[in-house]
Amino acid sequence: MKYFMFSALAGLVAVTSAGRAGTLQFNRDIRPILSENCFHCHGQDASKRKAELRLDTAEGARALLEKGAALVPGQPDKSLLLQRMMSHDPDELMPPPESKRSVTEEQIRLVSQWISEGGEYENHWAFVPPAHPAMPAATAWDRQPWDALVRARLEREGMQPSAAATPAAWLRRATFDLTGFAPTTAELDAFEAAVAAKGEAAFSEAADRLLANAAYGERMAAEWLDVARYADTHGFNNDSARSMWRWRDWVIDAFNRNLRYDQFITKQLAGDLLPNPALEDKIATGFGRNHVINSEGGIIDEEYRVEYVADRVRTLGMAWLGLTMECSRCHDHKYDPVTAKDYYRLYAFFNQVPEWGEDGRVANASPLIPAPTKAQREHLSKLEQGRSALAAGRVPGEMSGKGLGEVLTWLRTSVPVVPELPENTLRLENKDGKWINAVKPGQAWGKGPDPTAAAAGMHFPAEGDWKLDGAAFDASSNKPWTWQSAVRWEGGEGVLLSSMDYTIVESSTAHGNGFEIRITAEGRPEVRMAQKWPAYAIQAVGIAPLAKDRWHHVAVVNHGTDNARGFRIFVDGVESAVEVLHDGLSGGMGAKAMRMGSATGKNPDAFHGSLEGMRAWSRVLTSKEIVDLADSLWVRSLPEGPAGSEAALGSLERLQGIVRRHDAGVREQEEKWLALRSGELEAARDFPTVMVMSELSAPRPTHVLMRGNYDAPGEPVTPGVPESLLGAWPEGAPRNRLGLAQWLTKADHPLTARVVVNRFWQQVFGTGLVKTSEDFGIQSEYPAHKEVLDELARNFIESGWNVKALMKSLVLSATYRQDSRVGADLLAKDPANRLLARGPRVRLSAEMIRDHALAVSGLLKPRIGGPGVYPDQPPDLYKGVVVDAAYPGTKWTNSQGDDLYRRSLYTFWKRTVPHPVMTVFDMPDREFGCVRRSRTNTPLQALTLMNEPALVRAAGHLGARIRGEGGATDAEKLTFGFRLVASRQPSEKEAAVLARMLEGLRKSYQSDPTGAGEMLKSADVVPAAETAAADLAEAAAWTALASNLLNLDETITKN
Amino acid sequence: MDCNRFQTWGNRRDFLSRTGLGLGAAALSQLIGSAPARAAGGLPGIPHFAPKAKRVIYLFQSGGPPHLELFDPKPMLSDRFDEELPASVRGTQRITGMVSAQGKLALQPSKYGFQQGGQSGQWISDLLPHTRKIADDICVVRSMVTDAINHDPAITFLQTGSQQPGRPSMGAWLDYGLGNANENLPSYMVMCSVPSKGPPDQGLLSRLWGSGFLPSRHQGVQLRGTSDPVLYLGDAPGISRERRRLMLDGLAEMNGLQLESSGDPEIEARIAQYEMAFRMQASVPDLTDLSKEPEETWQLYGEAAKQPGSFARHCLLARRMAERGVGFIQLYHRGWDVHGGLTDRLPVLCGDVDQPAAALVTDLKRRGLLDETLVIFGGEFGRTCYAQGGANREKYGRDHHGRCFSLWMAGGGIKPGHSHGMTDDFGFNIVKDPVHVHDLHATLLHQLGIDHERLTYRFQGRQFRLTDVHGKVIRDLIA
Repeated sequence: MKYFMFSALAGLVAVTSAGRAGTLQFNRDIRPILSENCFHCHGQDASKRKAELRLDTAEGARALLEKGAALVPGQPDKSLLLQRMMSHDPDELMPPPESKRSVTEEQIRLVSQWISEGGEYENHWAFVPPAHPAMPAATAWDRQPWDALVRARLEREGMQPSAAATPAAWLRRATFDLTGFAPTTAELDAFEAAVAAKGEAAFSEAADRLLANAAYGERMAAEWLDVARYADTHGFNNDSARSMWRWRDWVIDAFNRNLRYDQFITKQLAGDLLPNPALEDKIATGFGRNHVINSEGGIIDEEYRVEYVADRVRTLGMAWLGLTMECSRCHDHKYDPVTAKDYYRLYAFFNQVPEWGEDGRVANASPLIPAPTKAQREHLSKLEQGRSALAAGRVPGEMSGKGLGEVLTWLRTSVPVVPELPENTLRLENKDGKWINAVKPGQAWGKGPDPTAAAAGMHFPAEGDWKLDGAAFDASSNKPWTWQSAVRWEGGEGVLLSSMDYTIVESSTAHGNGFEIRITAEGRPEVRMAQKWPAYAIQAVGIAPLAKDRWHHVAVVNHGTDNARGFRIFVDGVESAVEVLHDGLSGGMGAKAMRMGSATGKNPDAFHGSLEGMRAWSRVLTSKEIVDLADSLWVRSLPEGPAGSEAALGSLERLQGIVRRHDAGVREQEEKWLALRSGELEAARDFPTVMVMSELSAPRPTHVLMRGNYDAPGEPVTPGVPESLLGAWPEGAPRNRLGLAQWLTKADHPLTARVVVNRFWQQVFGTGLVKTSEDFGIQSEYPAHKEVLDELARNFIESGWNVKALMKSLVLSATYRQDSRVGADLLAKDPANRLLARGPRVRLSAEMIRDHALAVSGLLKPRIGGPGVYPDQPPDLYKGVVVDAAYPGTKWTNSQGDDLYRRSLYTFWKRTVPHPVMTVFDMPDREFGCVRRSRTNTPLQALTLMNEPALVRAAGHLGARIRGEGGATDAEKLTFGFRLVASRQPSEKEAAVLARMLEGLRKSYQSDPTGAGEMLKSADVVPAAETAAADLAEAAAWTALASNLLNLDETITKN
Repeated sequence: MDCNRFQTWGNRRDFLSRTGLGLGAAALSQLIGSAPARAAGGLPGIPHFAPKAKRVIYLFQSGGPPHLELFDPKPMLSDRFDEELPASVRGTQRITGMVSAQGKLALQPSKYGFQQGGQSGQWISDLLPHTRKIADDICVVRSMVTDAINHDPAITFLQTGSQQPGRPSMGAWLDYGLGNANENLPSYMVMCSVPSKGPPDQGLLSRLWGSGFLPSRHQGVQLRGTSDPVLYLGDAPGISRERRRLMLDGLAEMNGLQLESSGDPEIEARIAQYEMAFRMQASVPDLTDLSKEPEETWQLYGEAAKQPGSFARHCLLARRMAERGVGFIQLYHRGWDVHGGLTDRLPVLCGDVDQPAAALVTDLKRRGLLDETLVIFGGEFGRTCYAQGGANREKYGRDHHGRCFSLWMAGGGIKPGHSHGMTDDFGFNIVKDPVHVHDLHATLLHQLGIDHERLTYRFQGRQFRLTDVHGKVIRDLIA
C-alpha cells in the first residue's frame, strides 16, 4: 500500500504536471508562489511595502530600482527576483529567513522557466468574466455537453474515466444529493425496472422526480443555512433564543419553487428595498440579520454594532463574491487588489440598519417584523372578511338622517357619563374635577394648586416639573393595568407620561430605565418599557394616528406579561393595531416616580398640547369599558350650544361611531364589530416575528475605520463596489443594497455565478472545482477544471439562474455517474479525486446520517417548516456551561411526540452548545458563515452511532421493521435490512458475515434473557407481556444487528 | 466553525492528522509500511526544538478574579481610600456600562491581607493560604494585559488569541501540532465546574474548546461529572462488553469487505476509530474510577474532591489525566464575575480553588510530573482599583479591568518562586515587564517545543497562527 507515502507536493505535481509540458501559465504556476512568499511585503498594501518594490503587477516587477529590476523578461540571470530567491547570503535571501517563509527548488525552477519564457503577467483568472470554453468533440461517453471537458482533461493527463456506477448506486447518490435521504426499496425496484425498460430516459425522469420532492428544498436549505449562519440563538455567552425560522422556511420554499438564483440573492440582500415588497420579500432579508448578537451587560454598543456590519460584509464575501473581504478591514488586502477603502465602501451598504450593538437578551433584536405563516394569514383574512361582511350589512340606526344639532342633543342625554371606576389610582382632572396627584417639585403629594390651565385640559409644555410618585400609578411590566387620557396634540414628538431618564450616560446599564407613553412625530401613541433603553426594552406603537389640534381619547392596556404581547393601545375607544419595534425587556420593570409632559426636566421631547382626564387602574379594563370611557369623555367635552365647531367634534367618522354605539337599533351590531376587530388583533399578537433589514431614515455616515477599530474613524466613504476590479456599477442602479444586488447579479460579473456554481458542485462532488470555495482570490487554489467551472457558470446565467436545471445537469453527467471504486494506481495519482476520473465517495453530513437512520427505521416525521424542535439531548449537557439566568434558550426540554423525529435541519440550534450529534459529525457552530465543513473520522462518532439514545431506538424500530417486512427467512430479512441502509444487495461474502453476526447475537441473547429485555427496553421495542424468552432473544438479536447496520461505513457514506 | 479541509484526505500527513486518534503504532506501521510512525498525527517537524513541557493543565478562573485581593497587594489604596482615580492614571481606558453612570471612580483598597510565602517571599493573599504554601513552586505574573474588557471577547481572546469567535483554541492548536501521544484517551480534555455556593453567572461557550477553522477532530472532549463522562460512551443496557466486542468484530468484517471493494482508505480509518471507541469505553471509566485513591489523596485535595463535578475533583482528575499522557487539560471554574458582591463571594470562590490547585502542584511534584507539566492558574482579566458602587472598607465591588491582571504558572520549565512584572501603586497600569495574552501564548507554545510563528494553518488564503501576527516569548519567565 505504497500510495500512502505520497506527499502533498507529489499530489500537486500529479495534478498539474501535464499542463506544464507547454508554456507555463502565470495564474496557474507562478502567481501562487509569488503570492505566498512575496506579496506580503511587495504587494498592493502600500503601507507595508518594502524597498518600494511591487511584485503583484508587471509594471512594478519590471521597474528599474537602485540595484536593477526584479524581473527582466527572458533573462533569469538579470532578474533580481530569482537571484534573491537563490541567494546563499541570509541578508540577501528572499523571502527573508525571519519571515519563516521559503521557496522550494522546484518553485525556483518554475520561476526561472517563466522568466525565460518572457515573464508575462496575467490578470487573475477569477477577476475576468467567465466565457464559454472551446468544446472538444463529443463522444459517446458524454452525458452532458460539459462532460467532454472533463474527459479531454483526463486524456491530457493520460487517464481514463471510470466505468459507470450501477443504476442503484447512482440513484442512492442522487437521492442523497437532492433530497438528503436514501432511496426507498420501492424506489430502487422501480428505478431498476425503468432503466431496463427505457434506458437513459429513466435517469432524467428520476432526477425530475427528486427535484420535485419537497425534501429537495430542505436538503438545499441545509447547505445554505451554514453559509447564512442560521441559528435559533443569538450567540455570545448569554446565547438566548431568537426566532428566525420564518426566514429558514422562506429558504426551503425558495428552493422548492426554484426561485431564480439572482432573485434568491436580491431578495435576501435587499427584499425590503424592492418596489412594494411583499411580506416574504422582507422575511428574506433576515439573511442579513442571522449574525450573532451580544447582550452582555456593559458592552460598548458601537463596538458590537460595527461587528454586525462587518459580519454582513464577511458573509457577502464568502457567500457570493468568493473573496476574503474581511482581510481588508484593518489594512489593504495583502494579496487581493482590495483596499481598506473598498472594504468600507461595501460596508457602507450594510451600515444603515436601525439596530443596536447590545440587544437580543430575551427575544429578537430590532429591527423586526411580525411574520405570520400562510396559515396564520389565511386565518386572519377569514376574520377580516367576517368583519367586512358585518360592516357591509349595517342597517341605518334610529338617529340616521337626523340633523347634527338633534344628534348632539340626543348624545348629551344618551351617552352616560361613566362614573368613577373602582381601583382608580390616578386622576388628573380639570373642568368639573379637581387637579390632584400631580405635584410640582418641593410640593407635598396631593396638594398641588389648580394649574392656570388653558380652556380645556392642562397645557404643555407646562411651567414647572409635574411629577407623580410611583405609588400613584404602579406601571410595572408584570402587573395588569390600564391608563387613559384625553390628548390634544399640537404636533411634534412628545412625552405624555414617563419615568425614563435618558440623561444617564448612554453606555450605562441604567440608561433610560423606566416606563413611558409618548406621541410620535406622526401622532401615534407609543409605549416604552425599559430596563436599559433601548437594548432591553419594549417599544410598541399604535398605528392609528391622532389628528393634530383635536381632542382624542388614548388608552393603553398592559396585561402584565412582561413582553410586548401584553400591550394594547386604544384611540377613541377603538383598539389600534400595534407595531412592535422592540420586544426585549429583560428582567422586568417595577414602579417608579413619573413626570408628565416630559421624560426628564431636560428632555427635548417635551409634549406640545393639552392633557385632560388622565387616569389609571391597576387592572385590565375591558374593551367595552374603554370605549364607554372614551365616549363619555367626548360627550362631556362637547361645546355648549346646538352645534359646536368641527375642531371640537373631531372627525365625522368618530361622531358616527359614537352615535352607532349608543343607538339602540344598531348598538349590538357595533359591539360585535368591535369584538371581531379585537379578535383579529389578538390573532396578530400570536404571529412569530423575524429580524429583518431596513434602512435608517437619515443615513449614517460611514468612515474607514483605522485598523478596523470602531472608535477610530478615518476618511469618510460613500457606498460602492470595487468597480475597476469586478465590473462597473449598473447604470441607474440605486446606491443601496438593491443596487448592490443588481451589481452582483450582472450577467458579466466575474465571480458571483462561478462562486455559486462551485458550491453546488461541492454539494454533489464533495469538493469544489475550486477547492477553497470561500476564496477565489489570488491565494486560492487554481481550479482543477477551470473550463468546466466557466461553462457551468455561463450556462447557469443563461438559463436564468436556474438552480434545478444546474443540479439536474450535475447529477445526470457522465462525470458524476462514474463508479467511485478506486485502485491503488489511481489513488496514488489523484488521491483527492480532483481530476474526476472516478465518482464521488464521501461521508454523509451530520443531518443526513441522522435523517437516514430515522427514515429507514420508520421513525422520521416528515413535516416542512416551523419553529426549531428539541430531539433527545443529554439532560445535563448545559450543566456547568450555560449562563445562569432564566433567558429563553438556556434550558433544553426534549420535545414530545412527532417533534422528537423531525429532520435534523429543524433541530433547535444553540450556537454555544449545539446538539452534540450534529457537532460530532462536523456541523459548524454557525457563529459565522461557513461554506465548507470539515469531514473528520473520530472515535466520538463511533460512540455516537453506537449509543446515542435516539439512534438506539432507531435500531430497535429498524430491527422490528426487518422482522416484520423483510421476508420469511433470515437470509431474506438480512438482505432487506442491508438494502434499506446501503441501497444495494449484499454480496455473498457480506451475506455470510451478516448471517454469522445474527447467529452470534442470537446465541448471546438466548443465554441472557435479562440482557435481551434490557436491550429491548432501551431500544423502545415493547414486547407483549407473554412473549417467550426465545422471542425476546430473537428481537434483541435483530435490534443489535440493526444497530450494526446503522453503524456500517457504507450506511453513512454516499458512494 | 469547523470549516475547512473538505477534500478527501490525500497524503500521508493528511491521513495521519485525520485519523491519528485511532491508530496505534501497529496499525500505522501496517498501513504505511516501513515509514517511521509518529506517535499519532502531529505535524512533521514539530516539536521545532526540545520541549520543556509535555503537557499543559490550565486552571481557568472564569469571570475575572480580582488581582488586588489575590496576588497584587497595593497598600497605597488604603491611604487614598475613596479618593477619585486620578485622570492621569486612568488615561484613555474604556469604562464599562456597569460603572459609566457612577459620579465617581472611588479608589478601593482590598480588605484582605497579604503575607509573604516560602523562601522566595512572594506576596500572596490571606484568601489563598494553600497557594502561599507552594509559593516557591510557582511563578506569579502580575503584569498580564489583555485587549478586552467584557467576558465573551476576553475569554475568547485568552483561549484563541482573537476576541472574535472562529479561531481554534489553544488545546486545538496543540492537538493539531503535536498530535496525540495516547492511544486510549483524547489528547485534549475539558472539565467545567461552578462555585460551591452562589451564582455561576457568566456562561461558557463550547467554542472555547472548539477547533475554529481547524478540522473538528482537534476540538476538546468534555469530561462530564455524570454517569456518562464522555457523551455516549456507555453502551445501552443489554449490550455487555462481550456483546459489543462481538458486534464490533462483525462490523469490522463488513467494513473490511467494503474497503476491499471500494479501495477507499477512509474505511480503514473508520475501523480504527471504532477500536479506539471500544478502548475508550474502558480507559475513561478507568480514568474516573477514584476508588483506589488512598486516603491521603482526599486529605491533599480536600473533601470537596469527593463531590463529582467540583473543581477539587477536576484537579484530581487532571493529575490522573497527566499520568495517562493527556496533552492539554483544560479546567474552567465559573463564578469570578463578582462585581458588587466581591466581598460576599470571594471567600467562597477561593475556598473552592485554593486547596485543590495547590494540591495539584504538590501532587505532580512528588510524582515527578511537575517538570514536564505546565500548570497555569488565572482568568480573562482583572478587576478595577476603583469601587463599583461606592468605596467601602468592608463591603464593596469591582468592575472588569483588562489593563492589568495576575496569574500564576508552575512547572513545565517556568521559573519557580519568581514574581514577574509590576503594576503601579494603584494596580491600574503596568509599569514593568508587561505580558500580553499573545506573549503568554507564545511562551506556552515555546515550553512545548513550538515556535509560535511556525505553527500555522492556511485558511481563507492566509496562514493563521495562535498568536496572530503578535506575541513574543517572555524569556524572563523561563527557568
